[in-house]
Amino acid sequence: MMRREEEGVAPINFMWHLVWDFKWDLLKGLLTAVNVSIAALILSMVIGMLFALARMSRFKVFSIFASVYVNIFRGIPALVSVIWVYFGWSLLFGHNFTVYQAGVIALTLLYSSFFCEIFRSALQAIHKGQREAGMALGLTRGRIFRSIMLPQATKIAIPNIGSMYIGMIKDTSTFAIIGMVEVVRVTQNLNSTYFQPFVLYTAAAGLYVVIAFLVDFIFRNAELNFSYPPQGRLAKFLSRKKKKRIEGLMKST
Amino acid sequence: MPTSSNNEVLMELSGVRKTFGTIEVLHGIDLQITKGSHAVIFGPSGSGKSTVLRCMNLLEEPDVGSIKFLGNEYGPGSGRKEDGKRGKSIDLRRKVGMVFQQFNLFPHLSAIDNLALPYRAVRGGSVHEAQERAAHELNKVGLLKFAANYPSQLSGGQQQRVAIARALSLDPELMLFDEPTSALDPELVGEVLAVMRELAETGMTMVVVTHEMNFAREIGDLNVFMEAGNIVATGGSDFFENCTNQRAQEFIGSVL
Repeated sequence: MMRREEEGVAPINFMWHLVWDFKWDLLKGLLTAVNVSIAALILSMVIGMLFALARMSRFKVFSIFASVYVNIFRGIPALVSVIWVYFGWSLLFGHNFTVYQAGVIALTLLYSSFFCEIFRSALQAIHKGQREAGMALGLTRGRIFRSIMLPQATKIAIPNIGSMYIGMIKDTSTFAIIGMVEVVRVTQNLNSTYFQPFVLYTAAAGLYVVIAFLVDFIFRNAELNFSYPPQGRLAKFLSRKKKKRIEGLMKST
Repeated sequence: MPTSSNNEVLMELSGVRKTFGTIEVLHGIDLQITKGSHAVIFGPSGSGKSTVLRCMNLLEEPDVGSIKFLGNEYGPGSGRKEDGKRGKSIDLRRKVGMVFQQFNLFPHLSAIDNLALPYRAVRGGSVHEAQERAAHELNKVGLLKFAANYPSQLSGGQQQRVAIARALSLDPELMLFDEPTSALDPELVGEVLAVMRELAETGMTMVVVTHEMNFAREIGDLNVFMEAGNIVATGGSDFFENCTNQRAQEFIGSVL
């Protein structure tokens, strides 16, 4: 085998120190990605829940609207969505979104359609006896939803919310195209100066993977805390006081 | 067994019909439940027993007919204005307790909160008041020491006793039992029947759909035999001995 120099190709010189030198830039990019995706996560969950309720509504107008929305937006790639929001809407409405706003809106449009489906299936997975028990006890529809359906649906949906969120973080990488200084944009900028694609993009991939592990850990924990009875440390800590009160009642009754 | 001292009618079903899809499952049910009585509804599967019971707390809205309860009228009614003022179904449900075959406890709440949450939602007041009442009711069914347990940590019999306590905590005027022991292991049936027997002795008005014929014979002072969406035969506490309806006799003979 010929050596690279003999082929006239420059020797490989991996400049791994770049990762350390620009750690703050990379981390700041990551922070931006996390920031945008968390804002979009919260909005998507709220809007997705409203769409889920609309989709299950007795009123045809709502359910048709919701299912059309879902089927359109879950088919659009994030890259298309963000360009459409950032450049398209500004032409249409004459209003310029900031890069941050455009990113949050683009993600929310897409992921609220996924969350609609996640919440709908979670609500429908609850045994119908739960609802009937609430009705038989004379609870209002709002109370049945808040206190019986929602907590149980949340528990069912948690693992799916976790994987959706990992997808959202990864989709922020496409926002480099509108100039958001997130992980990929930082990497591109560094690469154009140092031409170290292997080193720099390995670092970028590493950051996404670390976040994915972290998200997985957080959502596994959330699942534990939402199990019946709660298994997680947080839930156990929070229910200490409650347990004491029940013990007190057991003695006094 | 104490029988009702007065003959005040607590709930009256007249001409109740119910259709699911294209199939009519109730063909006009007339039934009077007097205060303090213990009605038992039995009959083969698919005869409409559970549907009658579910109409009594409007989990199923009758398509035709009316339900009168505490001076209010529910369902589409007979069309006559003088029948009584229309009631809201939520008001009826708050005075009618229901126990389900599958218990339907709330799995995300401890036993005590299964009682306290509905109590507080219906009555208001503080968490402490609700839990005190809940503890009192759990104690009555012998489950106070399981107050902090979740439904998944209780046996079927215990879960059903919690469900009974949950319904009782709202001080119902009428208790409905929809095959309360059918989902239980045979050895756990006894503890649930014991709680129901005790409840019957306090004079609570009860309507029980059951296949436990011995229990029916013991507490039933109004026995209702249903088949194919009709009430075929009714009778008092001597029904099992002196029933003249041949179909009912056959059924009793086959299950006893």
